[in-house]
Amino acid sequence: METNWILFYVTLICLIINPITAEIVNKNVERNLDIASQLVKTSYKIQVEETAGKPLKEYEFIVKDPNLSFISVKDGFNKRPTIEKRKEKENGLTRYKITFASNAPQQTLLIETVSTKNILPYPSEIKQNDKQLVKYVGGLYYYSYYLTQTQRLNVQLSSSNIIAHTQVRPFAVMSNKISYGPYENVAKLTDDELFVHYENQSPFLTVNTLERTIEVSHWGNIAVKEEIQMTHTGAKLKGSFSRYDFQKDGRSGQSAVKSYRTYLPASATGVYYRDTNGNISTSNMNQMRDSVELDLRPRFPLFGGWKTQYVLGYNVPSYEYLYNSDDDYVLKMYVIDHIHDNMVIDEAVITIILPEGSSNIKLEPPYSIERRPNSLVHTYLDTVGRPVISFSQSNLVENHIAEFTLKYKFSKVSLLQEPLLVIGFIYIIFLLTIVLLRLDFSITSHSHKD
Amino acid sequence: MNRGSKILNSKVAGYSSLITFAVLLIAWIAGFSSRLFAVIRFESIIHEFDPWFNYRATAYMVQHGWYKFLNWFDERAWYPLGRIVGGTVYPGLMITSGGIHYLLHILNIPVHIRDICVFLAPVFSGLTSISTYLLTKELWSPGAGLFAASFIAIVPGYISRSVAGSYDNEGIAIFALQFTYFLWVRSVKTGSVFWSAGAAISYFYMVSAWGGYVFIINLIPLHVFMLLIMGRYSPRLLTSYSTFYILGLLFSMQIPFVGFQPIRTSEHMAAMGVFVLLMAVAALRHLQTVLSRNEFKKLFIVGGLLSAVLVFVAVVVLTMMGVVAPWSGRFYSLWDTGYAKIHIPIIASVSEHQPTTWFSFFFDLHILVCAFPVGLWYCVKRVNDERVFVILYAISAVYFAGVMVRLMLTLTPVVCMLAGVAFSGLLDVFLQEDSSKRLANTVNSVQEIDEQEESLEKKSLYDKAGKLRHRTKHDPTHETGISSNLKSIVILAVLMILMMFAVHCTWVTSNAYSSPSIVLAFHNSQDGSRNILDDFREAYYWLSQNTADDARIMSWWDYGYQIAGMANRTTLVDNNTWNNSHIALVGKAMSSTEEKSYEIMTSLDVDYVLVIFGGVIGYSGDDINKFLWMVRIAEGEHPKDIKESDFFTDRGEFRVDAEGAPALLNCLMYKLSYYRFGELKLDYRGPSGYDRTRNAVIGNKDFELTYLEEAYTTEHWLVRIYRVKKPFEFNRPSLKAKDRLIPPTNFISRKNLKRRKGLIRNRPMVVKGKRTLK
Repeated sequence: METNWILFYVTLICLIINPITAEIVNKNVERNLDIASQLVKTSYKIQVEETAGKPLKEYEFIVKDPNLSFISVKDGFNKRPTIEKRKEKENGLTRYKITFASNAPQQTLLIETVSTKNILPYPSEIKQNDKQLVKYVGGLYYYSYYLTQTQRLNVQLSSSNIIAHTQVRPFAVMSNKISYGPYENVAKLTDDELFVHYENQSPFLTVNTLERTIEVSHWGNIAVKEEIQMTHTGAKLKGSFSRYDFQKDGRSGQSAVKSYRTYLPASATGVYYRDTNGNISTSNMNQMRDSVELDLRPRFPLFGGWKTQYVLGYNVPSYEYLYNSDDDYVLKMYVIDHIHDNMVIDEAVITIILPEGSSNIKLEPPYSIERRPNSLVHTYLDTVGRPVISFSQSNLVENHIAEFTLKYKFSKVSLLQEPLLVIGFIYIIFLLTIVLLRLDFSITSHSHKD
Repeated sequence: MNRGSKILNSKVAGYSSLITFAVLLIAWIAGFSSRLFAVIRFESIIHEFDPWFNYRATAYMVQHGWYKFLNWFDERAWYPLGRIVGGTVYPGLMITSGGIHYLLHILNIPVHIRDICVFLAPVFSGLTSISTYLLTKELWSPGAGLFAASFIAIVPGYISRSVAGSYDNEGIAIFALQFTYFLWVRSVKTGSVFWSAGAAISYFYMVSAWGGYVFIINLIPLHVFMLLIMGRYSPRLLTSYSTFYILGLLFSMQIPFVGFQPIRTSEHMAAMGVFVLLMAVAALRHLQTVLSRNEFKKLFIVGGLLSAVLVFVAVVVLTMMGVVAPWSGRFYSLWDTGYAKIHIPIIASVSEHQPTTWFSFFFDLHILVCAFPVGLWYCVKRVNDERVFVILYAISAVYFAGVMVRLMLTLTPVVCMLAGVAFSGLLDVFLQEDSSKRLANTVNSVQEIDEQEESLEKKSLYDKAGKLRHRTKHDPTHETGISSNLKSIVILAVLMILMMFAVHCTWVTSNAYSSPSIVLAFHNSQDGSRNILDDFREAYYWLSQNTADDARIMSWWDYGYQIAGMANRTTLVDNNTWNNSHIALVGKAMSSTEEKSYEIMTSLDVDYVLVIFGGVIGYSGDDINKFLWMVRIAEGEHPKDIKESDFFTDRGEFRVDAEGAPALLNCLMYKLSYYRFGELKLDYRGPSGYDRTRNAVIGNKDFELTYLEEAYTTEHWLVRIYRVKKPFEFNRPSLKAKDRLIPPTNFISRKNLKRRKGLIRNRPMVVKGKRTLK
């Protein structure tokens, strides 16, 4: 509590110094909290008013959930206000400064956030036949620097089996929903805890590392390879695993992940799904109209705490992703692609291998990423090596499926280099054979027999 | 010769070399592609058991380099003993594929080492057929050589060991064997140091690749010995054998696993003895030219007797002193087929060490097994230095193949060669006449030089090649005597037989030898679809992902290499069965009661136990069926604790149902295999706990495990993994009273200031006189 007071004073001082914010009021706040999966998806609808009638320029937004993965902001006119992250986190808070696109005393903000790893299994270890219970701890009130006049909170759960939840009136429970509020005139920086303990059998799958390699060939093909290591991060399996129960009883091991779906681009061909021991024979592929749906079954059902590792690869034709005018090329592809619904990626490393002889490479990512040093790789018939662009990002979710743009120069003449190399090599071999067969290397001189 | 005939000659030579080249190329391609059934049906994976170790060692070598590999101490095998891999392995296989990998990576061809390992044996089969061609050409004629090359490319006896994915020593060793023999025959023929040094180098490669090199180092001295006895001594023989023996000896001692064996073990003594004998004969020959007849006779008798006694005494004394090791047990089992069964159950327990059935000769060799004696007869009739060799090769290989199924492999090449001789002899007779002059020319011109040489010395003694005496006897005009009808009938018949041979080979390869055995496929009888049973990899991958990195896994030794290769976990025993007592200890643990085996398992630090159980799907190669061997091996070391007779019923039957022996129904292996199986109903009408492999309802259905718990069982129950509990997990809690309090956690009560009353969720409604609903 001590720190909260300090924070309070600090912000108070800030507020005094900054006279504009002093008169901003949240007229109405509606929050939808979706904790039906392993992600915490919150959508805010905030009506802000400048009580003095001055045009509103800036707004301070605070996210309380740690591990914030994704945030997007829109205003009432469907425009995108600029959003800027303030400093690094203090006390687990992430602060954003939102600058409005238009000047009006009344504004509406639509904010969506996704955070990961805030729903924790509770108890953290269960037996095979037990249900997976989880708890979520968050804020009951909208946490803001400003006074909030009315606010509501809707919590979406995965099942109607609610063990316990915060009971601050008024609230209502409707099967798998809890609605709180309306709460009137909540003072700024009021922090009260929201606690929900409920049954959540949705897959708690976390991709620990994703290594995505995109290899571009100018002969018309782009090869994508994803090396994935994943863990079931739900309640850990306690005691023994029983195949008998698992086969006989449908209710046994409900929280275990037996299979999941991965969507690939519609033009994906030559899909392979394997690990270090070879092909994983348990998977199905469906060709849909706008995607290829893979029903992936790991070699074994993933129970809490169990891990697996695999490689998924496919080819796509390059004309869908690679554009050029003369020697200027532009590659547009997703940074990451869908792995399973409501996925969480702890760490993703993306590697792009360009054809040999590419130069002037410029990467334009859709969001901030961490660049890694460029390198060279040597594969089939390479002489100087192919340039490799590599970057990484941590804590990614589905909302991060977005295109990057990679611009580079490549002269078409160098496309002929590799065929010429092969032709030349074979030619030299024949030439050498011809020469060698006609030479006599013996150290003694034979008398030629007739 | 004038210019015109020269051109014609070179034209003929050109055609024949084109035909040779084309046939060998086709043989290579056919041999390669007929070995790919497993890759096409399944995928590019390593098969069976031993190849997994070879693959793992190769991958280690590629990753860490040659010197690290040579000094590799594998702490993941034979826990807690470990295994010095560099000194206990024939490294030729790893060097070969590692070298190919290295070469390809220098050329920027990033082929995965697994793919090299998978396709190594099929590629080498092509080299084998080329070296078989060369050898047969030396022995008989190029035509016979082409036949032999085509035969060996597709013969099942060789394919059984060299399909894609069967990454084992034999795959490259047969090539090395044939090539060494070719160089040896060439060197005997020419007496040149060059060829015999080549033979020694090839022998070196063979030593580095396979333990079967002993076959070479006994067969070549036998050849020399026979030549000496037959009075065919020549300076060429002296040169070639002394060069080969000395160089080969020095080379073979460079392999760490072989070390000083070539001068210390009985298996190699024959070679040394023949070397000494050859030297003595050479010395005598020399003396014969120097001394007078009488002096020589005296010297010969006295010296011969003395030296014979001396050598004998020396060998006996050295053996007694332990300098020269006596024959090893594995070697004894080659002479006495019953030996292994009594003394070394671990060798007898391997199915490929069983004596060969008559059926498998035909299965593996088809028509060749019939043609082979004909070729042998040809060689005997027209014997010369080289043909003595192939006769000895044939006779010894037939013997060994009869002793052990596995040694079918050494018989196959010689059968192919002699069958090639037989067929080419047959066609020589029946194709000669009706063919045009040019064809006859092509066939003969290549042989001409060969035959001229031979016929010069043996014209008076032997038949000329290409004519069959017994047929021609009936016809005085033997060249044109066979009617063209008969000829065409015979040729058609031969072609039919050869065609059927090819069909048989493909069929056998496809059905018998192309299963990876770690992936099983079965056809659904209802809709004909093909299902894949991937339980082995499922279990091994589970182990690799979800157990501690240093977890120790106890299983029967068959699965040791696979666990190490696919799961990368520590095993207690594996397919390198060098330590019998360790294996017996595992066998004892498997055949004791749970309580007793727990003591063994804790003393060996076992974390997991893996058993193979085929009762659900009817897989017959499971651990219960192998169980008697475990008992036998355990009994060999622990006769007081384990008795084989305890596991049989009074009537001497091995059964798992209610009438089974109590020792069997309560041993660890039984419990681990059938844990909770008694509850499982495989179909609606049948009884629960029905074992499909042994067609019986199991006898001990209802039991719990105290010291172990089920950790994982694969989808079809094929592999079952159990975790060995730690002592505190099943004993009374060893917590002291004061520690037994549950520490306060962040427990959140639903009670708040307003609500203090507790309630039970889903509380059953109690109405008097009625049952509660829930």
